[in-house]
Amino acid sequence: MHPGRQLGVLGLVFVVLYLCVFFAAGAEGSWKQRLEPKLGLDLIGGTQATYIASQQGAPPRPEDMELAREIIQSRVDALGVSEAEVVIQGNNTIVVSLAGKADEQLKGLEQAANMRFRLVTGVTGDVSSVALNPPSPAPSASASGSAAPSPSAGASSAPAPKAEDAKPSATPSTGGQGGGAAAPSPSATPSATPSPAASAAAPAPVSADIEEQRAAIKKKVGADAWAAAEKLTAPVDLSADPKAGLPFKAFAELSGTEVAALSPQMQFNVPTISCEQLNARPNGSIDGVDSEVVACQDGVYKVMLDKAEVVGDDIDEASPQLDTQQNQWVVSLDFKSEGQKKWTALTKKAYEAGPSDPCYVAVTSMYADADHCAVAVVLDKEIISAPQIQGVLTGQSQITGDFNGASAKKLADQLNFGAIPVTFDAGPAQTVSATVGDQQLQAGLLAAAIGLGLVAVYAFFYYRLLGLVIFLSLGLSALLTFGALVFLGRSIGFTLTLAGIVGFIVSLGVAADSFVIYFERLKDEIHEGRSPRSAVPRAWQRAKRTIISANAITIMCAVVLYIVSIGQVQGLAFALGLSTMLDLLVVFLFRHPIMSLLASTPAFMSPRVSGLGRALRRGQTEESGSSRVKEA
Amino acid sequence: MARPGFATRLYQGEANLNIVGRRKMWFTIAAALVAIAIGSFAINRFHLGIEFAGGSEFSVPAQVDGKTFEQSEIQQAVETAVHGVDPEAQVNAAQQVGDGTDANYKIRTSELSATEMAEAKTALAEDLGIEVTAISDQQVSSAWGGAVIDKAMLGLVIFLVLVSAYLVVRFEWRMAVAALTSLLFDLIFTAGVYSLVQFELTPYTVIGFLTILGYSLYDVVVVFDKVQENTRGITASNTRTYAEATNLAVNQTLMRSLNTGLVALLPVGGVLFIGAGLLGAGTLKDLGLVLFVGMGVGVISSILFAAPVLSWLKDRDPKIKAHNARVLARRAQQSNDVARGERSRSAGATEGDEVSVLAGTSTPRPGARTTQKRGGANRPGTKRR
Repeated sequence: MHPGRQLGVLGLVFVVLYLCVFFAAGAEGSWKQRLEPKLGLDLIGGTQATYIASQQGAPPRPEDMELAREIIQSRVDALGVSEAEVVIQGNNTIVVSLAGKADEQLKGLEQAANMRFRLVTGVTGDVSSVALNPPSPAPSASASGSAAPSPSAGASSAPAPKAEDAKPSATPSTGGQGGGAAAPSPSATPSATPSPAASAAAPAPVSADIEEQRAAIKKKVGADAWAAAEKLTAPVDLSADPKAGLPFKAFAELSGTEVAALSPQMQFNVPTISCEQLNARPNGSIDGVDSEVVACQDGVYKVMLDKAEVVGDDIDEASPQLDTQQNQWVVSLDFKSEGQKKWTALTKKAYEAGPSDPCYVAVTSMYADADHCAVAVVLDKEIISAPQIQGVLTGQSQITGDFNGASAKKLADQLNFGAIPVTFDAGPAQTVSATVGDQQLQAGLLAAAIGLGLVAVYAFFYYRLLGLVIFLSLGLSALLTFGALVFLGRSIGFTLTLAGIVGFIVSLGVAADSFVIYFERLKDEIHEGRSPRSAVPRAWQRAKRTIISANAITIMCAVVLYIVSIGQVQGLAFALGLSTMLDLLVVFLFRHPIMSLLASTPAFMSPRVSGLGRALRRGQTEESGSSRVKEA
Repeated sequence: MARPGFATRLYQGEANLNIVGRRKMWFTIAAALVAIAIGSFAINRFHLGIEFAGGSEFSVPAQVDGKTFEQSEIQQAVETAVHGVDPEAQVNAAQQVGDGTDANYKIRTSELSATEMAEAKTALAEDLGIEVTAISDQQVSSAWGGAVIDKAMLGLVIFLVLVSAYLVVRFEWRMAVAALTSLLFDLIFTAGVYSLVQFELTPYTVIGFLTILGYSLYDVVVVFDKVQENTRGITASNTRTYAEATNLAVNQTLMRSLNTGLVALLPVGGVLFIGAGLLGAGTLKDLGLVLFVGMGVGVISSILFAAPVLSWLKDRDPKIKAHNARVLARRAQQSNDVARGERSRSAGATEGDEVSVLAGTSTPRPGARTTQKRGGANRPGTKRR
């Protein structure tokens, strides 16, 4: 390729990079602001969030805290190449610090990410508002069940039109319990609630602590209301008697923590307990694998869920995927072999459930034309989705839900990194100042200047004019690196730390190194008596091979470390790879063409101008010297 | 003709130092250094920094009792107080957390015992003229848990496997083994220095350590590249043993190695000078130190260790063994001819070194040159194209 063309390509790279710096990836503000790289926590400080672990009174075990720390670290690292700091403070607090303003990124980091797959065994509408303010008698149903008042009446009286239950199920007031009451099975009541046996067994394994809380709640709501609530075996049917909710009025005043202390049956059956209250329960309150729980679906249904047959630990790998047919994001799951068995068993149970199964009855009040049971995918307190199981699933499965690309990735990451064994409460995010401070930053930059100066002096001393080529290409490398830093800082969150600065200083030396390889080669060639014109391409051919193999190793090192490692090591690997690539770019597109151009100028060979001249001169004197020897 | 000075010969790649021939000496030195390093790992272990070992954290309000403190003030006071109870303790830079009236300064130090902590707090409160209760303290965990190191080590292993494969393909397995041996030597030596001198091990040390990986191999690859060039088709002629050809390559790349070593070490030296000389402890010193030691030993070992290991391995290759025997036999036969030219060897030179000159080099020494001008009968098969 013609030297001019190579320089042209380099110019193009340069222009494109700086156009990106100034105009792409959310560049805004003044010219100066657009030129600011994203600096790391150690250089400019950032945002700090505190998460306090709560594990029912007792302080969490140290090994749980360490595991939690590592999981949170992985989650932070998954946000991008920004070197975050995650430490445990005292015995129950985790402090996360991120560079810059990062309130958004710090949100939800502490989420436990306990994934549970539970059979849906009961569904009822969140009727709390109706229960508290019962509409005046007759037309009331139509007022609340605005969409379809007639099916609601049908549901509560006639058992037949099940298929048309779709509408009522969507409107809270008439919802699921209409369907439940209308179930054709003889056991009308247990169809909605799991089973009487379960509700009888539930109170048994309750801790003394919970017992105490329940006693307090009993006092708060009144003994009558409590007794009435305890007697419920199915959700109170407000469509039959709109005023039936009134005795439970006091339950609406309970806090989330108090609601969590109630038995699942009570949470489900008492009509005045709202989804809002259920969602306000403390983190981790429905994580119990071996207990039934109540959760909210879309803020509309209260859903009774069976024991968790499959949990997050059974998942081998989760990955976000774009379902191109539906054009929506899903999270695709691969189960571990043991987990796959459990998952297959669960889906089989859901798929093969007959119309008399409680889960079947439940699902029909959620989905109009349901003919198989639903399995709820529960993450912490939230039902992500509760799909009907359309077959016995023996392979990869997908979670659908209201995902976008980012949230699908987040969930997949959470599943992959595992669940945090303790539950956290997030404290406020605060700003923190730099850890290293100005002094070290300035010293680092000073060191860079000194280093560059020394290299330049050495190069000029040793290679004379060629030193100028070295100096220019180092300057060019520095500009390209800086541009890449600014652009990558904005686009993928690459942050520059003091360690990074030192890394780039080192790469200056390594970049200069590839020049030395080339020039020494050139010297050899000229020494052998070649003219500069023929020596330059020959030396280039040979040096190219060496430079490429040597740089290939550095790039390999960077790529492996980037993929495998986490935290700051990953940042280092990125910087290393970046600077090596840029070095190669400059070597191929700047130095080689410049040398080709220089080789054709007569001044190039003058000993005073290029360090190569000495090799040339020595070669000549040797020539004469040796011929003398020969003569002798 | 006067023999050119050593510097000039070095510049011309003709220093003719006998490096490979003295490989026993290098191996002995290397083995001794490795033994010392490993011994030190066992006895001294490493001096872990706060980031690895965890430590204590002081929290001092920025505003208390109507007083407002500057960050530097607090920093100074904490350093004095902590060093009062434990002169060895490390004190990190203060950090301001929060703004305005809620602002706190947090300063991490290496782990202090409960009594030390209490003493330090009392001293600090006295120094600042505030209530002891205003100062809180906490234990902090390592920010660099086992996972970071484990993953970094996993990365290291994967890298070594890949790079071995690459070197086997690009060169040959013996070169791969020699290069990796040299790399391992660099890493053990650097770690040994850290363990022996009890420099503090911080995340920056580990980062610097990983940077050496690529650099160390970079040097070795450049030397081996030349060795490969010089020894290509070596068995076709009877002029040089493999060890001699390797030594020649080392000599030819010596200037380059020294140059690049110097060029790469200059900026690192700048960092070290600024970091350790002007600022004292801190990130710059940590990084500068590990890089300086690692890159320095990398340059040296690529010359004095990697090439000798390679020639040692090669001499065990039957083909090369036969070739070496042939060369020596031929040389014995021609020993009479050895009278001509070039007798000004330094006293310590071995036969191998001498013969390498006789046999001709691609950048031959004065006097020998006429016999192997391009196209000359004696031209070694290595000089292609």
